[in-house]
Amino acid sequence: MADRRMTYADVVRLAAASLIENPLRSFLTLTGIAMGVAAVIFVVSAIDGLNAYVARTLGDLKPDTFVVDKFGIIKGHREWIRARRRNPDLTWDDVAALRRQSPLAGRVAAARYDDATLKAGAQTLSDVTLRAVSAEMFEVESYNLQRGRVFLPSEAEHAARVCVLGLDVAEALFARLEPVGREVAVRGRSFQVVGVGEKKGSLFGQSQDNYILIPIATYEKMRGTHGSLSIAVRAADPGRREAAMDEARAILRARHHLKPDEDDDFGIITSDALMELWRDLTGMIFRIALFVVGISLVVGGIVIMNIMLLTVVERTREIGVRKALGARYRDIVFQFLAESVMLCAAGGLIGVVLGMGGVALARWLTPLPARIPLWAPLLSIAVTSAVGVFFGLHPARQAGRMDPIEALRSETV
Amino acid sequence: MEDYVIEAEGLTKVYQMGAVQVHALGGVSFKIKRGEVVAIMGPSGSGKSTLMNLIGCLDTPTRGQYHLNGRLVSEMNDDELAFARNVEIGFVFQTFNLLSRLSAQKNVELPLVYAGTPPVERARRAAEALAAVGLSERARHRPAELSGGQRQRVAIARALVTRPSLLLADEPTGNLDTATGQDILRLFDDLHAAGNTIILVTHEPDVARHARRVVTLRDGRILSDGRP
Repeated sequence: MADRRMTYADVVRLAAASLIENPLRSFLTLTGIAMGVAAVIFVVSAIDGLNAYVARTLGDLKPDTFVVDKFGIIKGHREWIRARRRNPDLTWDDVAALRRQSPLAGRVAAARYDDATLKAGAQTLSDVTLRAVSAEMFEVESYNLQRGRVFLPSEAEHAARVCVLGLDVAEALFARLEPVGREVAVRGRSFQVVGVGEKKGSLFGQSQDNYILIPIATYEKMRGTHGSLSIAVRAADPGRREAAMDEARAILRARHHLKPDEDDDFGIITSDALMELWRDLTGMIFRIALFVVGISLVVGGIVIMNIMLLTVVERTREIGVRKALGARYRDIVFQFLAESVMLCAAGGLIGVVLGMGGVALARWLTPLPARIPLWAPLLSIAVTSAVGVFFGLHPARQAGRMDPIEALRSETV
Repeated sequence: MEDYVIEAEGLTKVYQMGAVQVHALGGVSFKIKRGEVVAIMGPSGSGKSTLMNLIGCLDTPTRGQYHLNGRLVSEMNDDELAFARNVEIGFVFQTFNLLSRLSAQKNVELPLVYAGTPPVERARRAAEALAAVGLSERARHRPAELSGGQRQRVAIARALVTRPSLLLADEPTGNLDTATGQDILRLFDDLHAAGNTIILVTHEPDVARHARRVVTLRDGRILSDGRP
């Protein structure tokens, strides 16, 4: 008696047959689940893609570097107001102090940021990010050039009118002409292009290739030294960035005459901290998305439970016949459970396909490198199957418990 | 020693209908030998359906002992009853009770699915059973595409496919015209001749005439038991 058992293939075939028998009902039933899953696949993929993208873009800031900034990472309006009132501008004296007093800081570079309008021949390009940097910057950050070279320490020191262009700028101004060796006008002064940066893509819809890099000495000659410097530091020993940060912090606190109980009046930014900020942000979106999907799965599950209850009533006579022919409680429960699980899993599968379609569309229409993490479809199918079991159990047990005599007497076939 | 398929001793069934107790069967005893054809007759309310449910292992008696093919059915649990129905009983219903979504072949295979028979053997035995009732050509048809007589033949093939020790037919000709009903009864005669044990539950004397023995019930008791 123990070996008397329907095979899994029988159960699946049975369930599939009755789902195919009612294609419209099956489709409507699983739509809710499918939509929920499609939404989560899309959101998860978008966030995953964004993460990869941001990590790549932030890659400019190497793991052994940090940036000392007047503001640092500001997370709120109040914080910003306070920092603006309290924090002093960072000056060349600060840079000099770090260079002189911090043995752990291998390279200390300074930068100023501005907007500029560029002209070359008949072409004009506005809203270009102007980065004025000291020559050390090329040893602190990673600048990969598509062509030409970066400017030399001697050029930087002597305030030479040389520049490196972002790829977008080079293309906008010179189209297919060779940009290296040509002239670009910044605020009425002519700069010679010595190099063009490699493509970096865009972040938050903003191109990262829309910049011009000039020596900071040249910039200060034109615009003066007011405003805060941004100081980029590369640790002498890649493994001791934290120590280098502590040292820099101590030096600046001493220079700014801060008491031990006072907060820093400057910010220190690392790529980790930026990435963390970003993850906080997307983590919240992710949790909201999961919550929404959770609700849609519960609603979808209730729909499926309803339909399964209806199906069980409709097929009372069939259940009676099956029982008369020898089906046990377990056989009937498995039959109906298999149906609800297959409905849910099919919904999950359709959702995964829809989500993948959405992701493909997003990749095609936007620069977002959305990619589907392998776990997302697998987890979707697993979770929707679990929904099928959970919401299918009650109807299936009701079917299994039916009295064969009553069921056979039922009018429905 | 006689070879009995059914040994029923003092079968009693009491239903609790709210505050009222209904005695559907009041101590019924009888034995049926292997190879017998027995008709169970009686007006509605005589306990005929209740007795059929007990014999068919769809229900257990309130009191009394029921041995089917040597097994004590009266004390079985639900799963054991399901097993007994699967192995020992072949049901033939008045309304055929074929599953409309399945072909004749698949309908006949159904009891073997629950018996755990491998698919290839299932198909072979179902084909044999359909051949035995003369419906090999209709194996792929669904019930809706078959005549009433053909449907009942499919149902009989389904009842036979597990080679049960008892064929239990409940008004097998009740939904058929006279000529078709006669065909079905002749099929039962053939099955009897082949050695099957058959119980025909009916209220039609014409049907009962095909049995060598008629058990008549009235008010939950056996009124008569003997040759028609």
